[in-house]
Amino acid sequence: MTCITPSRIAALTRLRSSIFQTSYNPTSMRTGAKYLRRRLQGPSMMQYYPLEVDFAALNRANPGWNLIDRDEQQRLQDIEDRKKRGKGTPTKAKNKGEGRRAQRKR
Amino acid sequence: MPNIRVLRDIKARKGVAANEITRRAYLFVARNQSLPAQVRYQAQLQLNSFGRYTRPTTVKNRCTETGRGRGIISEFGLCRFQFRQKALAGELPGVHKASW
Repeated sequence: MTCITPSRIAALTRLRSSIFQTSYNPTSMRTGAKYLRRRLQGPSMMQYYPLEVDFAALNRANPGWNLIDRDEQQRLQDIEDRKKRGKGTPTKAKNKGEGRRAQRKR
Repeated sequence: MPNIRVLRDIKARKGVAANEITRRAYLFVARNQSLPAQVRYQAQLQLNSFGRYTRPTTVKNRCTETGRGRGIISEFGLCRFQFRQKALAGELPGVHKASW
């Protein structure tokens, strides 16, 4: 039985990689090629949520259009209604120590 | 109008898309063992300096209807309840309630 030397095997793998156009990497060194080979995920990620019409941006881009955003109007109306019932957001303290919490503790 | 969690997710998606190529380049350099250690270390430092919303793992598929984060049926991008409602209303082509 003939003995095959390691150098012969190395030569064979080098030849094989040249024939099949694969990279010759006998020590299995990490080349980081997989990070370049993977497809880019960003474009498909951007398509996940359906596009929404941005009325404010449209109005800003085209002066004189004055498109009405029903949802936004409803939201502002709801805030007004809450304020009338005394359920609006509390006012922000102007100076330190004037906040509702600070006054209550004393 | 999407809720804040969806808006944050959209922000993350934009960040990932904008920084993906640079991040990949740094990843390639940092993980490449044939390059000098100093260069790889610098590349890793650069990777660490990227913001939170540039990593693909921060992106989560949320319900496109309600923004719910759990129980998403990925084929439709809807959470289980929205899926049920839409399926019963006949808004999802090819989906109907099992009965035998």
